[in-house]
Amino acid sequence: MNIEIIAQMVVSGALMGLVYALIAYGFQLTYATSKSINFGQGELVMLSAFFSLTLLNIGVPYWLMVPGGLLFGAALGLLVERAGVRLALQQKSEGWILLTIILGLLGFSSAENIWGRDDRPFPTPISSDALHVFGINITPLEISVAIGVFAIMGLVELFKRNTLLGKAFEAVSADRDAAELMGISATRTIMLSYGLSGMVAAMAGILISPITTVGPTMASALILKAFAVAVVAGLDSGFGVVLVGIVLGALESLTSFYIGSGWREAPGLVLLILALAVRPNGVFGKATIRKV
Amino acid sequence: MLKVENLHAGYGSSEVLNGVSLHVKPGQVVALIGANGAGKTTTMRAISGMIRPTSGSVLLDGKAAQGMGAARIARIGLAHAPEGRKVFGPLSVEDNLLLGAFSRLPHFFGFHRKAEEELQRVYELFPRLLERRGQAAGTLSGGEQQMLAIARALMAKPKVILLDEPSMGLAPVIVQEVFNIIRRLKDAGITLLLVEQFAKSALEVADYAYVMEHGQIAVEGTPAELNKNDRVLAAYLG
Ligand SMILES: Nc1ncnc2c1ncn2[C@@H]1O[C@H](COP(=O)(O)OP(=O)(O)OP(=O)(O)O)[C@@H](O)[C@H]1O
Ligand SMILES: [Mg+2]
Repeated sequence: MNIEIIAQMVVSGALMGLVYALIAYGFQLTYATSKSINFGQGELVMLSAFFSLTLLNIGVPYWLMVPGGLLFGAALGLLVERAGVRLALQQKSEGWILLTIILGLLGFSSAENIWGRDDRPFPTPISSDALHVFGINITPLEISVAIGVFAIMGLVELFKRNTLLGKAFEAVSADRDAAELMGISATRTIMLSYGLSGMVAAMAGILISPITTVGPTMASALILKAFAVAVVAGLDSGFGVVLVGIVLGALESLTSFYIGSGWREAPGLVLLILALAVRPNGVFGKATIRKV
Repeated sequence: MLKVENLHAGYGSSEVLNGVSLHVKPGQVVALIGANGAGKTTTMRAISGMIRPTSGSVLLDGKAAQGMGAARIARIGLAHAPEGRKVFGPLSVEDNLLLGAFSRLPHFFGFHRKAEEELQRVYELFPRLLERRGQAAGTLSGGEQQMLAIARALMAKPKVILLDEPSMGLAPVIVQEVFNIIRRLKDAGITLLLVEQFAKSALEVADYAYVMEHGQIAVEGTPAELNKNDRVLAAYLG
């Protein structure tokens, strides 16, 4: 075994893992305030990527496309909250599981109708010419993924810690009833969390698209892995997702190199099954088991 | 200041309150006493909007508040320090206090500066909280958490504060400390509705008191009157 090849695999896998972590972080945001998540989050990633691509195609400069895409993702997040989650939460039912899955399916068929089934390249001004660092090839494009992931997570965390609204977000997560007694509207805070979660998912889409291309199914495998990361790290574990994401990404890339590319999805599934076996009623209990 | 009339409320289909009426005048401390399960906490919750009353009215400073959500009732000037304190455990003491003033402060920047004066005042009243301002509220002792819950309610500069069993689960010395604080709040002119197991101590600070039994007010009067009532004496002050 060549240590340099292993290092190469670990680094490029870990970068992919950061994207899983980012999507998993989006799950954590809504779970914290409402104990619910959007099961159609993968479609949200995909739709935001398509929307961003459309912005580029109509001539919007790359660096303006990014905030545009993020806003679109946030708007979709708000839509999911309004249409799929709010009523179910008010009735203390788990209807949000089914409703968010249905919204996802709706998003999928809309994408097929609007943009077609083909995968399309996503142009980027960031170079993909490899740099050599300690014998490892890494492209500026890959580095931009890491920077993007940490930048957006860092921004959201700064918001949570340093603004009163962010502290209110934490208060609702800690004790919803007590937060209401302070005059904090739990409904609005949950909206905020869905908006942020949508924004984070859109960021994942924008970051990954130049590497994977954009198509209706671009996020189906991605979302499963993000799920695995969220379940293993715990839906309330803060930055645990980053660690688990990196490990899963590295494992995947090693598996596909040494065992065969057909086995690429294996580590994620094994991890998910293990996590569910170890804590079957784990972090989101019934919800996870139904989905899987 | 706070006028509750013929309030009915409960959980699901079971009715707990059947027609509670009480009145808290500006600057008064009013005590609500009664046996376990009488419905004192439920009364507090129905007033502050944590549960929706099925009928009856709640007037806060003349404004009808019944049926509004808890957040809106808080914004019109009612602070409820709930049973079991319910501080925000992962957040710091100071963040808890700032959140107490949530509806008065800017939500993004400058909120700390705007809250400074009120923070100073609260820290003066609770020096222990100043020492622990950076500590996670969940790691405070029970007594400190109770102080924080009261301080957090004060931060809102509310018209009325509902205080539900502030002495619950505290050592006798700390209970004394809590009652000293209540006395100081009363001297400062704060309007309070106080639920207490320690009926005797509650009657010592209160201007007026209600005794609750089975979801209704059974007896009411000034502490002097209740101290002369044989039934109250036997059941609650013995
Ligand atoms: N969340 C709830 N769901 C259903 N029933 C409840 C709930 N909370 C209280 N009850 C019921 O309502 C009745 C009144 O309870 P409440 O807590 O108001 O009494 P309390 O006077 O505050 O008693 P304590 O002195 O023990 O605090 C009790 O019979 C109780 O079982
Ligand atoms: Mg009670």
